[in-house]
Parts: sequence; C-alpha cells; structure tokens
Amino acid sequence: MTAAIEATALTKRYGRRTALHGVDLRVEPGRVVGLIGPNGAGKTTTMRILLDIIRPTSGTVRVLGDDPREAGPRLRRRIGYLPGELIMDSRITAGRLLTHYAALNGEANAAPRIGELADRLGLDLRRPVTALSKGNKQKVGLVQAFAHRPDVLILDEPTSGLDPLVQQAFLSLVREATDEGQTVLLSSHVISEIDQAADDVLILRNGRIAQVSTVAEVRAAADRDVRVTVRAVDAAALTGHLERLPGMSALSTQHAGETVVLRGRLSTGLDELVSALAAQPVLDLVVAEPDLERAVLSFYSDAATEQTGGAQ
Amino acid sequence: MSALPLMRRTLADSWRGLIGWALGLAAVTGLYLPLFPSFGGNSEFLAIIESLPPELVSALNYDQITSGAGYTQGTVYGLLGFVLLTIAATSWGAAAIAGDEERGTLELTLAHGVSRTQLVLERAAAITLKLAILVIWVSLLATILNGPSELGLEADGIVAGGLALFGTALSTAMIGILAGGVMGRRAIAVGAAAGVAVAGYAANALGNQSEELRWLHAVSPYHWAFGANPLADGLDAAIGLLYLVAIAAVVIAVLAFRRRDVGV
Repeated sequence: MTAAIEATALTKRYGRRTALHGVDLRVEPGRVVGLIGPNGAGKTTTMRILLDIIRPTSGTVRVLGDDPREAGPRLRRRIGYLPGELIMDSRITAGRLLTHYAALNGEANAAPRIGELADRLGLDLRRPVTALSKGNKQKVGLVQAFAHRPDVLILDEPTSGLDPLVQQAFLSLVREATDEGQTVLLSSHVISEIDQAADDVLILRNGRIAQVSTVAEVRAAADRDVRVTVRAVDAAALTGHLERLPGMSALSTQHAGETVVLRGRLSTGLDELVSALAAQPVLDLVVAEPDLERAVLSFYSDAATEQTGGAQ
Repeated sequence: MSALPLMRRTLADSWRGLIGWALGLAAVTGLYLPLFPSFGGNSEFLAIIESLPPELVSALNYDQITSGAGYTQGTVYGLLGFVLLTIAATSWGAAAIAGDEERGTLELTLAHGVSRTQLVLERAAAITLKLAILVIWVSLLATILNGPSELGLEADGIVAGGLALFGTALSTAMIGILAGGVMGRRAIAVGAAAGVAVAGYAANALGNQSEELRWLHAVSPYHWAFGANPLADGLDAAIGLLYLVAIAAVVIAVLAFRRRDVGV
C-alpha cells in the first residue's frame, strides 16, 4: 500500500544551520500521527516541505504517492494545511476568506460545508478576520484545513489558542476525518493532545526522528509511579526487596507514625513487584497509570544532553 | 470553478485604495489643466520661464510648456501624474509577493491549489488592470478638459501619452514584483521599483543638460516614455521598451519565485 506521507533521508539546510538531518518517516493511510518534539526540532520545517512551501536540500518526499514539488496544485488540493504561525489580517469577513480559500482549491460551492464546520467550532463567519481573537483566527484556520475533506490533513499546533470545549470539537473532527479514511499528521507540544488524538507518535529532536511507535507503546515504556504503605516493622525488609528490582528507581521512604510509605518509579517488571509485595502485609498500594508526558520529556532531555555533549 | 480567484481577491481587497488614487489623479489633472489658458500665451509666464536657469527648465521638461501638449506633459503626465502612478505601482508591486510573504499570509495561500506561476501572473494581472483603470481615467479627464482648457490635444496624442504613462507605471510595478519574487523582502521590492523610476527620471534630467550626458537618455525609462513628447507628436517606438521591461520582469519573477523557499 502506498504510504500517505513518506520521507526518505530528508535534509534541509539554511546556510550553515541544518534544520533536518536525514529524516525518514512513513505515515500509513487512515492513521493519526502525532509529531512531537521540542521547539526547533524540525516539525514545522518538515510540514512545510510536504506542502512545497520550502524545498528540501536533499532526500525525497512523497505525499499520496506524489512529489509535492512536481505535483503542485493538483496534490495540494488533496491536502488540508494549518500553519503553525497562523497570520490573518484580512479586512474581509471570515466567511469570505474561507470561500476564497475554497475557490483556490477549485470548490465553487463550499458554503454549506464551511457553515457546518463554523457552527461546530463556534465561529462567527460574518465578522472581519482582523477583528477576531487569536482563538477565533485559529478556528478559521481549522475550517479552511478541513473544508474540502482532504485526503491528508497536516496540522501544525492545531489547538493552540483554543479553549477546552473547542479542543473537544477539534478532536471529534479528527475522529470523523479518520472514519472517512483521511490521514492526519499533527504536531503539538501539548502531549495530552497527542495522547487523545493520535494513534502513532513520531518524536523529532534536533532534526532527526528519535522514535517511531504507537501511543500505546510509548505509554507502556513509560515509568509508573509506585506507592506502597506498610507497617513500620515490615519496612526494612520490603525496602530490601524493592531495591533489588531491576526496573525500580528513585526509591524513597517516608515514616508516618506506625506506617511507612515507600515511593519509587518502575520502568519494567510489574510482575516482579507484585511477587515482592506478596511476601509482606501491604496496607495500601498505588501503581499510577504510565505517564506519556514523562516518557516524551525523557526524550527531550536526552536530546538536550546530546546537544550539549555533541555540539559540532 | 470560478476563474482567476487570486486576481479577483486582489481587486476586491483594493477597490477602496483604487478610488483614492483616482481622486488624487483627478485633483492633479483638474487643478492644473484648466490653468493653461492663463499661462500658455501669457507673456508674464513666458518671462518667468525664461528667467529660470535653463538647466532647471530642461530638468523639469518645461521647454515645451507653452504648448498645450507640452503643458499637459510637463504638469500631469510627466510630473504629478507620473509621481502618483509611480507611488501606486511601487506599493502594489511590492505588496504582491514580498508584502504578503513578510506578513506571513502568503504561506497559507500557497498551501492551497494554486501554483507559484499562477500566483505571480494573477497578481501581476490585477495590478495591470488597476493601473490601466487609472491611466484611462487620466486620459478621460484630459479629453474632457481639452476643449475648455484650450489644450489643443489630438486624440492620438492622448492615446500616446496614456500609453507612455501606463508603460512607466507598469514597468515600475513589475520590477517591484520581480524584486519581491526574488528576495521576498518588501523594503527591497519598494527600493528596486521606486529606485528604477527615480533613477530613470534623474537620468533623463541629466541627459537634458548637455551633449556629454545625452547617452543617459538611452538608459532612462522616463525618457523612453516622454523623451519624444508623445502628447504632441504621438507614439514613439521607445515606449515599447517599457512594455518589454515589464514583460521581462514578470517572466524572471515567475522563474525566480518558482525556485525558492517561501517565508524563511
């Protein structure tokens, strides 16, 4: 099957600065893929190359099987794009601007669809674009991206400036899009958003893909916070057991009268933890849900170390 | 599918500005041309012109000012109308690509189903149409005022003067598009477009001064337009050079703009 988006050894240099160092990525049709990474990791650069707004220094790109550079407008009509830095200063109304964008895509009768999307996001189409707040401009951006039911949606920081209610409306738009077989690539540094919306995660750091996996896998690999409460008399023995667990780190003890609270962070070996606990009377046990955000932040901090350690 | 969406958007966005420019041109034309009867055969006015330093008279192209055609060219077509249209052409030409790009709004337009070529050509076409409207407006005013102001202009002189004026404005605007298409910086586009127009005017004025500097006429777009006194003597082939420059500028703008990154 042809990938919806495919990049091979994608490199982009601006003078001496290298924004992308040979990025390889593949997005299968119908998936929602979250592109995450710290500022300057290359998320926006990658997306702009997919739209042929900027051109790669080397490497190949295919969107829906076509090279964006060669395929031109024909391909871009099948893509919905929301720029990360959305600037709109037109004095015309939101409705007119959206009709204009639809006309650029060759759609003469886009008004019903635009009206429907505007209703769902709570956007007043009669107001001039300049008079809109940041959040409302973002809604205009979302409407123009979704309006023509494109095969591929490329959304750079789609929910920035949106209130939680509208974020929910956005998530339902994304779900509908995938139900119809549309592919979504979205970037964010709000990890909970990726968590809610995406099937797969691409972590980009320093212009390289650091990890590709499903959200579930990233989450499974993430550390879990563990908290065990035992009687003070059992604490020493249990601490000994827990310290020997290979996946346990940051173990601490806190005395609270007759009881002791042991806290730690577990990466792997949940079953070993359970058997270690089975030997002792346990008063309370909490194993927290693995935190996607922490998993991702650990990639960020690895990236930071790499950057300082391996500066050219 | 409705045709030329970018051109129509540009026109719809700028009709207010167009009316402003039309009013400005009407003011200049309506104020100056009716004054001709009190100047033309007036001996005091001739004495004033003769008392001016000859270099100044030739720099301002006032040597023909005692004829109706010379006066119309010296005040409107070759001076204030030229200045106003040059300013309009510069700002429109610089806004077409560079201004849009610097504001950050060009990226989203290009993300839709339009090609870079189509964008440059439609915006160039919109500017061409707006400039044509303004020049036709000036020509219309000159035609209306011709009789009452005793200018004695011939129809083909008005057409030739209009084509000369249109040619200067068009080449200026397209140089603005070219510089914007290559560099993407509004200040550079304004500088290039206005710079060529001003340099052309200066080269013409200097070329008027002496035999040694006459060669400057050959490189002055202003001289190509007005050197052969189109309002008095009709069309001159040199006016065609302005249109060649305009076409060449658009072609190079398209080629350059297709090649480069936008908004970086």
